[in-house]
Amino acid sequence: MEKIRGLLLKDLFVFKNYRKNIIFSMIVFVMVILLGSLSYDMVFTGITLFLLVFGLNSLSTFSYDENSEVDKYLLSLPLTRKEVVVGKYLFAFLNSFLILILGFIISVGSSTIVSGRIIDISKVLKNSMLLFTAVSYLLCINIPCIYKWGMEKGRMQAAILPVFIVFALGVIYFTLMILFPNIFNDSFLKMIYDISFILCIILNILMYYISFMISFNIYQNKDL
Amino acid sequence: MYNLEVEHLEKNYDDFKLDDINIKLPKGKIIGLIGENGSGKTTTIKAILNLINIDKGSIKIFNKDYKDVSHEDIGVVLDDSFFSNVLKIDDINILMKHFYKRWDEILFYKYVEEYKLPRDVSIKKFSSGMKMKLKVICALCHKAHLLILDEATNGLDPVFRYEILDLFSKFVENKDNSIFISSHITSDLEHIADYIIFIDNGKIILDIKKKELFKRFGIVDVDIEDFKNIDNSYYLKYLKYKDIYKLLIDDKDKFLEKYSNYKIKEINIEELMLMFLKGESEHGKD
Repeated sequence: MEKIRGLLLKDLFVFKNYRKNIIFSMIVFVMVILLGSLSYDMVFTGITLFLLVFGLNSLSTFSYDENSEVDKYLLSLPLTRKEVVVGKYLFAFLNSFLILILGFIISVGSSTIVSGRIIDISKVLKNSMLLFTAVSYLLCINIPCIYKWGMEKGRMQAAILPVFIVFALGVIYFTLMILFPNIFNDSFLKMIYDISFILCIILNILMYYISFMISFNIYQNKDL
Repeated sequence: MYNLEVEHLEKNYDDFKLDDINIKLPKGKIIGLIGENGSGKTTTIKAILNLINIDKGSIKIFNKDYKDVSHEDIGVVLDDSFFSNVLKIDDINILMKHFYKRWDEILFYKYVEEYKLPRDVSIKKFSSGMKMKLKVICALCHKAHLLILDEATNGLDPVFRYEILDLFSKFVENKDNSIFISSHITSDLEHIADYIIFIDNGKIILDIKKKELFKRFGIVDVDIEDFKNIDNSYYLKYLKYKDIYKLLIDDKDKFLEKYSNYKIKEINIEELMLMFLKGESEHGKD
């Protein structure tokens, strides 16, 4: 655990390097959310903004690692390949999760305090979890691609892959809708939405597990 | 007995092959690995550190298979790899405390002070020499028993090089410790190495005790007439330089027995490397 903590700190120190940019961007977003809350319901927009802009930030640490060929050095220390990959996933997860919480607090807080709106917390939680799952989905595709092809090529591959997967899933769902219209209809979607919070948690665990196993297998056999 | 044993190591790339590498590094000794750029020095080190998958052979560190050995007891300097450039010295100290059980923070900062490394700037602002100093310090501050150093004296000024070489010599005063160091600054190895391994094009072409090397090898400068008269079985290679022929003698006693009127000059490792790489073995006397 001590070593994993060290790996998390390693990436945190990289973040520290551009903390001014992060803090400045966050202040701008908070201002936008606060001002927007005066006229509109900014809860969902606020959380979306935070997650999309900051939730994928952890991927930039790969770039810093690549520039200094950090991985070679890390593996010359008493660290295993598994620990290095676990460190990266944990950092990506914790970063997006903390951003979700921050976005949630700021957006909900500004809506309730500034505009005095009554928030449907259950709906906000469900939507937040859906957004968080979308970010996890992007992370879980990006990380193995970066391990496989490196930062530059990997990010390009990872930009195309999610679209194909979503398209494929869409095709499957519409096919099912045509084949079994009594099952796959609006009430099915509503039922899915009702249990989406739990479904998202399960989906997150599955995606992270599968993605981790793919990345670990790539990294295990990689010549550095 | 040995801190590092490499047997019949092979690694194939499309355009390069590391072929039948054998290394035995006894405790208390230093092996210097020399060779041109691209000769396979770094690939050998990467294989030892399990950074690349090997195709054949075996590697043992501290008498255990290299894949089962924790790097807790190994100090490493890699020429082209370190922590991210945006980190500062204090960040690195914190990380090392997490990674090494025996990280000696006091010793680390003692070296940092001694070698005047600035703590308030990120290492991207360091000169290449300062960065190398930091890498060497990191390798020395966790009570390792084996140092694996890839071009660890690169970019260092002569004074610090001298100090570092002194540190390395002191390191092996503990008879449990050993150093495997690759360098193209051959004079460094002349000072500290007990054994010299010369690698060329992925193959070891010379593996010898340093003392034996200086005892056996030498250089004889001759003119064209003498060159024609000397039997080519008495020297290993020759190199024509202006009107002078430099002959690489690999058995001084044998040569002097036959040609006692010639003076054999002492050779240094750089000359030896040059003769091996650029010298010719057929002199075409016909």
